[in-house]
Amino acid sequence: MEIRITTRQVLKLLQILSWIIFIGLCIEAGAFLFNTIYTFAINPINTKSFWDGADLSSLYDYDKGYFLVITGTIIIVAVLKATMFYLIVKLFAGKDVDLARPFSEKIKNFTIALSCFAIGIAFFIQMGVKYATWLIKKGVKTIDLKPFHLEGADVWLFMAVIFFVLAQIIKRGIEIQTENELTV
Amino acid sequence: MPIVVNLDVMMARRKMSLNELSEKVDLTLANLSILKTGKAKAVRFSTLEAICKALDCQPGDILEYVNKEV
Repeated sequence: MEIRITTRQVLKLLQILSWIIFIGLCIEAGAFLFNTIYTFAINPINTKSFWDGADLSSLYDYDKGYFLVITGTIIIVAVLKATMFYLIVKLFAGKDVDLARPFSEKIKNFTIALSCFAIGIAFFIQMGVKYATWLIKKGVKTIDLKPFHLEGADVWLFMAVIFFVLAQIIKRGIEIQTENELTV
Repeated sequence: MPIVVNLDVMMARRKMSLNELSEKVDLTLANLSILKTGKAKAVRFSTLEAICKALDCQPGDILEYVNKEV
């Protein structure tokens, strides 16, 4: 028996995946924010197992300001990622993906927004990694950034470029689509 | 656009309504309206042929080039 997978089914699957990733990213961003506030306001011991076994106690003991910059960068990246997936979820929920008229201003703006978010994520990841390297050189014992997914700035930048090129293709697609619709 | 569509003029000469033309050329009223109001970006040869046949005229009777710079 032949199994046919239609574009609609693929989009439905992607919608479900986007929701799962979005919820996961929201939890992660919320946890980073809560842990940072909790560390500063209530219990600094929390830094020993800040997130997923990451020990930031040496950084906190070295300087609270540096700790705040690193956690701030981690929070910004997590929030940007969550917002990016919010846009994807919103696109699916708003039924803006019309296969009969695939090119629209909404899709173009969505792609440009994704491109901007990807650039932002790349910038903050790069900044965070460089800052952590500088801090280690300065004398902080270790800064374990692996559990925070603060890596792959080049990949995000590449993604931003791809999204930007896609936006330009969609822009041309809108023109051709409009022209096609106005051909009698 | 410097190309002007004189479809309404030809229709008036032949005393033909938009509905009647729509049935004869097998085109939707919406598309004919786009053509009549000059919003169309392109016209297929098949459409032009059908319109010319229905209105018993030449393409030049329907389409006209107007130089706006003058």
